[in-house]
This record gives sequence, C-alpha cells and structure tokens, in this order.
Amino acid sequence: MSTQTAAWLVLAMPLAGTLIIALGGRILTPRMAGWIGTSAIAAAFAFAVVTLVKLQGLGEEERHVASSLWDLANAGGLRVSLGIYVDPLSVLMILVVTGVSALIHLYSVGYMSSDEGYTRFFAYLNFFVFSMLLLVLAGNLILLIVGWAFVGAASYMLISYWYRRTTATAAGIKAFVINVIGDIGLVLGTFFIVRQMGVVDFGPLFEGAHSEFAKNDPSLVAGMILILVGAFAKSAQVPLHTWLPDAMEGPTPVSSLIHAATMVTAGVYLIARLHPLFEWAPTAATVGAIVGALTLLIAGTIGLTVTDLKRVIAYSTMSQIGLMIMGVCAAAYVGGLFHLMTHAFFKALLFMAAGSVISAMAGQQSLDRMRGLRKAMPFTFGCFIAGGLALSAFPLMSGFFSKDALLFEVGQRGGGWIVFYVIGYIGSVMTVLYTWRMLYRAFWGDPCPEAVELEGGHLHHAHEHTNPANGEVEDTEVGFPGAEHHIAERTWQMKVAMSALAVLSVLAGLIYLPFGITDTFEKFLEPTFADSIVTHPANDGLEVFGVILTSVLAIGLIAVAYRIWAVGEGRATAWQQRLPLLHRLFVNKWYFDELLDLLFVRPIAWFGRFSRDSFERVVIDGALVGGTSGIVRAGSSAVRALQTGLLRGYAGLVMVGLAAVLLYFLIRAA
Amino acid sequence: MTIHLSIVLWLPLAFGVLALLVPRSLARWVSLLGTLLTLGYAIALVADYDTAAGGLQYVTDRTWIAELGIHYKLAVTGLNVVLLLTTAILFTAAALWAALRDEPSERAGLYALLMGLAQSGVLGAFLAQDLALFVVFFDLMLVPFYFLTLIWGMDPDKRGAAVLKLFIYTLVGSLLMLVGAIATGVLAADGGSVSFVLSDLQQHLLSNGSQQWIFLVFALAFLIKMPAFPFHGWMPDGYSQMPIAPLAVFTAILSKVAAYGFLQVAIPLFPKAAVQYQELILIFALASVLYGSVMAFTATRLRLILGYSSVAQLGFIVLGIFALNERGADGALLQSVNHALVAAPMIFVVALLAARAGGSEDLRDMGGIAKRAPAFAALFLILSFALLAMPGSANFIGELFILIGLFQAKVAMAFIAAVGVALAAVYALRLYIRSMHNRVGPQVDSREISLREALVLVPMVLVVIALSLYPQFALGRVEQAVKQSLSAATATAGKETP
Repeated sequence: MSTQTAAWLVLAMPLAGTLIIALGGRILTPRMAGWIGTSAIAAAFAFAVVTLVKLQGLGEEERHVASSLWDLANAGGLRVSLGIYVDPLSVLMILVVTGVSALIHLYSVGYMSSDEGYTRFFAYLNFFVFSMLLLVLAGNLILLIVGWAFVGAASYMLISYWYRRTTATAAGIKAFVINVIGDIGLVLGTFFIVRQMGVVDFGPLFEGAHSEFAKNDPSLVAGMILILVGAFAKSAQVPLHTWLPDAMEGPTPVSSLIHAATMVTAGVYLIARLHPLFEWAPTAATVGAIVGALTLLIAGTIGLTVTDLKRVIAYSTMSQIGLMIMGVCAAAYVGGLFHLMTHAFFKALLFMAAGSVISAMAGQQSLDRMRGLRKAMPFTFGCFIAGGLALSAFPLMSGFFSKDALLFEVGQRGGGWIVFYVIGYIGSVMTVLYTWRMLYRAFWGDPCPEAVELEGGHLHHAHEHTNPANGEVEDTEVGFPGAEHHIAERTWQMKVAMSALAVLSVLAGLIYLPFGITDTFEKFLEPTFADSIVTHPANDGLEVFGVILTSVLAIGLIAVAYRIWAVGEGRATAWQQRLPLLHRLFVNKWYFDELLDLLFVRPIAWFGRFSRDSFERVVIDGALVGGTSGIVRAGSSAVRALQTGLLRGYAGLVMVGLAAVLLYFLIRAA
Repeated sequence: MTIHLSIVLWLPLAFGVLALLVPRSLARWVSLLGTLLTLGYAIALVADYDTAAGGLQYVTDRTWIAELGIHYKLAVTGLNVVLLLTTAILFTAAALWAALRDEPSERAGLYALLMGLAQSGVLGAFLAQDLALFVVFFDLMLVPFYFLTLIWGMDPDKRGAAVLKLFIYTLVGSLLMLVGAIATGVLAADGGSVSFVLSDLQQHLLSNGSQQWIFLVFALAFLIKMPAFPFHGWMPDGYSQMPIAPLAVFTAILSKVAAYGFLQVAIPLFPKAAVQYQELILIFALASVLYGSVMAFTATRLRLILGYSSVAQLGFIVLGIFALNERGADGALLQSVNHALVAAPMIFVVALLAARAGGSEDLRDMGGIAKRAPAFAALFLILSFALLAMPGSANFIGELFILIGLFQAKVAMAFIAAVGVALAAVYALRLYIRSMHNRVGPQVDSREISLREALVLVPMVLVVIALSLYPQFALGRVEQAVKQSLSAATATAGKETP
C-alpha cells in the first residue's frame, strides 16, 4: 500500500461509517450504530499509522506526496482538484484526530447510551471526523475550505443535537454564522493569492510564493490577514470567539472532541500549513500573534470568574489556542504543534471528566452547586487531576514540556518577540489559577448533597428534567437529553477512554524533551518546515530559565490557589470586592456579545424590519407597482371582472393570438 | 446519432395535448411520460454534444417569415446544453409530483396541457438562435403560468390580483423587449435585408447610441423576469398564489431564462453598451443580493423566504455575468443550474412542511417537525446547506467562480457581495431551525416523509449531491461558449483600458 492509498483510506473510513449509520438507521440497533462508528474511527487510526510508516519510509526530501482523484472545477484558467497532500504535518494531524476521536467515540458509546438520538449522534460524529480529516489532508486551498466548512456544519449539527432546546439551536446558528464569516475570510483571502498566482494547490503555491510576491507585498498581506480571519473564527479568537462558550450546549463528548481537541485547533494547523506564505508576509504574522496573545489574556481572565464547569474549560481552550496561534505566528511551529497535540489529550480528558461530574450532578453544570466530589468519584477525580496538572504545566507532565517548548521557541527569536514570550507567561499564571479554582471548588470541601448521595451508592436523579440554561421543563424523548446519566465510575467504555487519555496526558511529553534529550517530534516534523526562513538561534540560558520559571509558576500557584479556593473561605469574594470594575468586566466576558450585537446584529435586523415594513410597502408596492396596485385598488370593477373571468379571457386571447401567429407562419414556412 | 431539436422542443406540448384527450385518470401519467421522454432525449443530447468542437450543434434552420427575415433556427450550444437538461429534470419532477399526489384534483388534462406548453416554451427560449424566435418563446413560456395560477392558485380571493400584477409586470417587460428586438433587426439591416438570426446580428453590431438604449430595454426585461431588486414587486403575490409544482419550475427555471438571455442575447449583441453599463447592472445585482437576503430572513412565510432568496441568488448570477470575465460568467451559468436544482425541491419541501403544520405555510406555526421525521430532516438539511452555498456543494463552486470573477473586475463589490454569502447562511438556517427544530408547535403533527413524497425529493437531492461531487460536469461544457459570448465585450473593454 502506498502512502497516498493509506491516506485516502483514512478519509474513507469515517465517510463509510457515516453512510452506513445514516442509511442503515432503521435496521441498525443504536448499540450497533455506536460500535460501527467507533470501529470506523479506529480503522481510520490504523490507516493513519500505516500512512505514518509509509511516509517515514520515504527519503526526507520526498516526504510530501500529492494525489488527486478528479477535477471538481477546471475553467477560466483555474483548476480545483479533489486532491490530498500528505506530509509530516498532515500525518501528525490525522494521527491526533483519529486517535482522540476513536477514544471519544468509545466514551460516547457509554455516555450517550440512554439518549433517544443515539444513532444520529454517531452519524454526525463520524461525519465530523471525516470533515476534519478532509480539512487536514486537503491538497489545495479550495478543498481545505470545503473541509473547513464541513467541520463547521458538523459542529453546528452537534451543538444543536438536542434540537428541541431553543438554547441549543440558538447556540448552533450563532456558531454556524460566525464560522461562515470565517469561511468568507478564507475565500476572499484565497482570491488575493489566486489573482496573482492562478493556482490553489499547496505544492506550487509554496514554491511560487517567493517569486510571485515581493516580501510583505500589500496584496499578500491583505490576503493572509483575511485568511487569518478564517482561523480566528474557527479557533475562537477575539473578537470572533463568542460562539465557543455557547457551543457548550452540545453534549459533553462533542465539547471534548470538537470544541477542545480537534476542530478549534484548525486555525493553528492552517497557519502552520501556510507558513511559507505567512513568513513571506510578516505583517500578517504579527497581526496573528497579537490577536493570539490578546485571546490568551482575555480568555484567561474570563476563565477565572465564570462559574459553569464546562465554560471554564471552554475559556481555557480559547486561551490555550490563543497561545498556540501566537506561537505558530511567531514561527514556533514545533512547539506550537506539540502543544496542539498534548492539549488535545489533556483537554479532551478534562471534558470527559467534566461530563462524568455533570452526570453525577444530574445535569447541573454550575460550580456553585458542586463541592467535595473527591470521595464520591475517585476515578473521575484522578483523571481531573491528571488533566489539570498537564494543563497547568506541572513539571514532567506533557503540558509542561509542550508549553515550555512553545515559549522557548518564541523567546529564541529575540527582539520584539520577547513581548509575546512575557505574555505567554502571564497567561500561564492565569491558566494555573483557573484550573485549580475549578478543581478545588468541585472536589474539595464538604460534599454537596449529590456527592453524599453518590457516596451512599446512589446516582442522583432530578425529579423533573430541565434545561440547566433556562430551567425549561423537558421530556426525555428525541431532541432532549435521555433519561439516564452515566458516570465514569460505572461505565467501562468511559473508563477505558479516560484512562488512555490520562496516560497520554502524563507521558506524551517524552517524545520531545528539552535540552535535546529526545527530539523525535522535531525530527519528524522537520521536512515540513525545512523551507522556513526563520532561524531559531541556540540560547541555552533562556532554555534553562524557561524550564525553571514554568516549574516554579505551576507549583507556586497551585499552592496559592489552594489558599484561595480550597481553604480560604471568602478570600475569592474579598478579591472581587477589592476590584469591582475588573470583576464586572470579566464576569460579563468583556462585553463582546453586547458589542457584536450592537455593531452587527441590530443594524441588520433594523434594516430587515425597515425593508419589510416600510420600503417594501411604500416603494416597491406603492411607487413601482403603483400602476398595478393602483389599477387593483382604483378599479374595483377590474377586480370584479377578474372573478367573472375577464382576465382569464385576456390572457387566453394573448395565447390564442400567439398560437395563431405561430401556426400561420409554421404552415407558411413548411 | 441524429437529434432533431424540433422533436425535443415540441414533445412536451404534444404530450400535453394528448393528456387532454385521454381519460382524466390517465392525464397525469401521460404528462409524466412526456416529461420522461423529453428527459431521455435531453440526456442523449448532453451525452452526444461534442464539447471539444463547441459552437452550434444539431442546427435546425428554416426560414419562418421570409419578409421579416425571421428564422425558425434552433441549436444546442455550450450555453444552453446543461440548462436544457436541467429544464427536463425539473419538469419531470413537477409531473411526478402531480402524478403521485393526484394534483390537481380537477381538470387534470388542462393542467397537463399548460405544463407541457410551459416546458416547450422554456426549451424554445433556450434553443432559439433567432432573436424574434427568442422573444416569442420568452413570452409564450409565461402564458401557461397565468392560467395555472388563475385556475389552481392557492387563495381564490387573491389569485386574480396576483396574476394581474404578474401579467402587467411581465407584459411591460415583454413589450419593451419586443420593441428592442424589432429595432435591433431593422437597425442592423441598415436598409439591407432584415435578419433576426443571432449570428447575422453579431456580424452587424449596432452603433454605440442604439446599442445603449436597446441594451437597457433588454436588461430591464430580464431583470423584471428574474426578478431583481427593485423590479420584484410582482414576486411576493405571485409566489404566494402559484400552485406548488408550477411554482417549483417557475422559480427554478424561468428566472434562469433571463440570466441566460444576458449571455445569449444582450452581451453579444450590445457589447459596447454592456461594458458601458457594467457598473449600473452590477449595482442592481448587488442591491438584489443584499436586499433579497435581508428580506429572506425577515419574512415568515416560507414561499416568501424562498422568493427573496431567489432574488438574492439571481443577484449573484448577474454579478457573475457582469463581471464580464470568463470566471465570473462560468460561475454564473453553473450557479443557474445549481440554484434551479435546489430551489425546486425546496418548494416541494414547503408543501411537505405545510402538510405537517396544519396547512400553514408560516414559520411561526412550525417547530419541532424533525421529531418523528429524521429522514425528511436529513433531506431538508442537505438542501438548506446547498442553498446557502456551503463549501462542498456545487453552489459553492458556482459562487466561488462568480466572486473571483467579480473580485478581478471590481474588488470592492466582491467584498460587499460576500456579505450576502453570510446572510444566506442566516436565512437558510433560520428557515430550517424554526421549522424543523425548537419546541414542537401546537398544530404540528410530525411525521416521516412518505414513499410518494420521497420518490420526488430523494432523486432531486441525489442530483444535487452528484453535481456537488462533479461541478465540472457543467463548467466544462459552458467554458468555450462563455468565452465566445463575452468575446466582443472583452475586446471592447480591452480597447478602452489599454
């Protein structure tokens, strides 16, 4: 099997899974659908491994393979083929995507088992994986945009999965529309490149960019900034991030897979993929780094104040992706992608653990209600700790090495980039604090009633099913969540999936250790970034400093957080009262929702109402159709005539006349 | 293989007449048979058409009215070959819909005759290679729709007024066009022998001044027919009253005749004027995109949402045509096919939704229809995604080429048009969510799509998917002809901006 065949098979597996589950809906039992979906992704992972082996079998120079099936469009001098591009970067992505997805599918088999829409869930989930793989394997910009939009659609369908919840459908359309705005950015950005180069395939694009454009060419910069808009929308960077917290309306495995581990990191992948273009347009790269840094900080501050368990993790995701975007824009590709991978592991794990906690709380997601769950759910707690330690870059955890590598590479560039290096560490401070705030509040202290009930061997069930977001009463049929809750302690599929990710969260750092101890990861990615024009000069002092600083911050701040949220009753409130304005800003999420509403939603809605109620009636119907409606209004006789068939006669006359003329001349012609 | 275009052209009408003569219970099936045979003929035609050779093929040319120089000249070209197939597909779907649902319940023979006449009219407008013949068919294809609306329209009290509006509006357009056509023939002859054959007229282009006013006359007629903003005054009432199956073909394919008219008639015959008025037409198109989209997400009646969405989509098509470059016009023709293939099944979806919402076609009476109808929901969702031109659909490739063409011609306009793309996502998803999702409406009776309904909808969705997998099917066939259609205009533009 060749490299490209293996890669095509990676794509084919989830597509086949989607089709089998969707078309076999009536024949398959829900259980079977779940297992078919999971096996399809496991098979895709197996083929991803084969792709990896085959690719490594090629010489370093040949490790970029393009293959296409047919032309989607080839007109007006523009050719768009259905083609893939396989190189170390895309192979890394397909491994992470299929690996994590397989585990989350397995988790879902247990977690979603009482849900009425079980079959549909797996069809969507398989479709998502297909789309994500299409995105990372796409061999040209247009197909990448197709994958890009498909993941957006899958994300929409899964956010609105409980489709009778109005909060879920509202969140779905919001996510979809913001992502469409991103898609448009991508498309328009592509236009700037196509206008100049006339090609969309990655190979020729990367080779030709330097000769077709001058360095920092205004039209290249404009194009790349528009492409960044796409990356910002998908990766929830300010100000296009407001959909991500709302996306938590989706079932927790969805948050874990799409809104933490895979889809939202697509922006990072995109920038890494197009690095030859971004490096040639340094202004655009700087813009990207600034937005990433801003997101890192803003999301961190919101994460510190938000009280919904899933949303804390969501803001954390936003913040971490900000860090990655900042990294890859600063040409810290290896570190950025390494962090992308470890983040996929520990963030997926954190969401899975959160799902288990939420189940134990019978659907409640508020941290205010949780307390002392440690003893009631030891396995979930353990996983939360593993994920939390990795997220806060605790020494020797995977997140420690990846964050360290990322920030070190940024620091290596020196000059103005040091600003971003410092911001990265400020972000780290907040990361540790919000992570442990969440952990201490949920698991420490006196057990809440639900925890006590669980310790007594009984899983809490609410008397009445309600939407936690707005308290509306729900039934448990299709379109609403199912009746039963499932926690990791009692569901083996969840336990297996979480254990695997916990191990990865702890150990994945080993493939890329500092001071050159291991460099497997860097060596693997080297062929993709061999053409990079940015150099990373050695700086041993900075490397040592980084490792020490990261360690000290993690250990020290976990202790501080313990004082504030675990034992220091009232200390958090005291801080809130000391900084009321700042607290209000953070709690209201920096008013981004209100701002976007004011700038875009309201004007368009107003224009719509004006068009419908005034313009359409007065101008279109009144002035322009004036003659017509005038006839109708003034001549009530005409209306009466209509009923007696005058108009019918009139139209008939026209037709008969036409027919007669036609016939006459037809006969004459013959 | 010999293909006689007169056969494919008059076959639908012949079967319409036949349907009038056979027993009433058979009329719908005879009509269906007619559309199926036409479809078969159209498929053979597309398969046989030599794309590499290009130009006019299977030409039928006879002098019709010698004194006036009017020819009965038909031909298949790259411009119309895919549109002919699309027409055949959509009329087949409409006939199938009528046959399977026993619609209309009364005077089925007359209904079949009118639909047959409509199809022959549309095919004739696409095939005509003579300006006068084009005008005749352009008017002829509208006539059956007056009757269809008048006799089987939705609301007996309102359909008369709606038809009157439609009639007067389109009559104005038709008369203008007739005047324009006659003037073109006479002025082009310049005292010599008059000919309305398009290829002759292209040899004798009019003077700059004449081109200008005649172009505007044609443009106005086409913009009304589409309809484009602000000439869409007939649309809300017309769409509200037309019966479902006629509306499906009307919105899908009749509007495309107008778009086709720009490329077939207006631009090749009046190239200087086309270049001169490029910006004016683009502004109307841009306004159609924005206004149509905004209205589509303000409206609550399903037909109006689709009607205004058509205004917006036709706006995109005109943007592509008047980018006056190959990419834009290629995209416009592809998008004409795409929109036709999506708009028609969407109209059928409206009927299915209404049947599940206590007969109401208003979004406010819907909600939660997906609950017992997962297969219907899936079909509807696929169509919605295609309607909003999601990447991966053929509609996306169409819009992509349109916008890239526009981008090359007028950068700023491409950016404004892109807003329309985002708005399309809003109205298409709003339509889907508020009917299928959310809390189940009080009058809603959610039930799965029936076999009969599926027999119409599933093949159409499959066609949409197939074209999405291979949009080059259409693009490859139109490319050469588009280049020719634009050649005179691009030459003019090239001279002006050396």
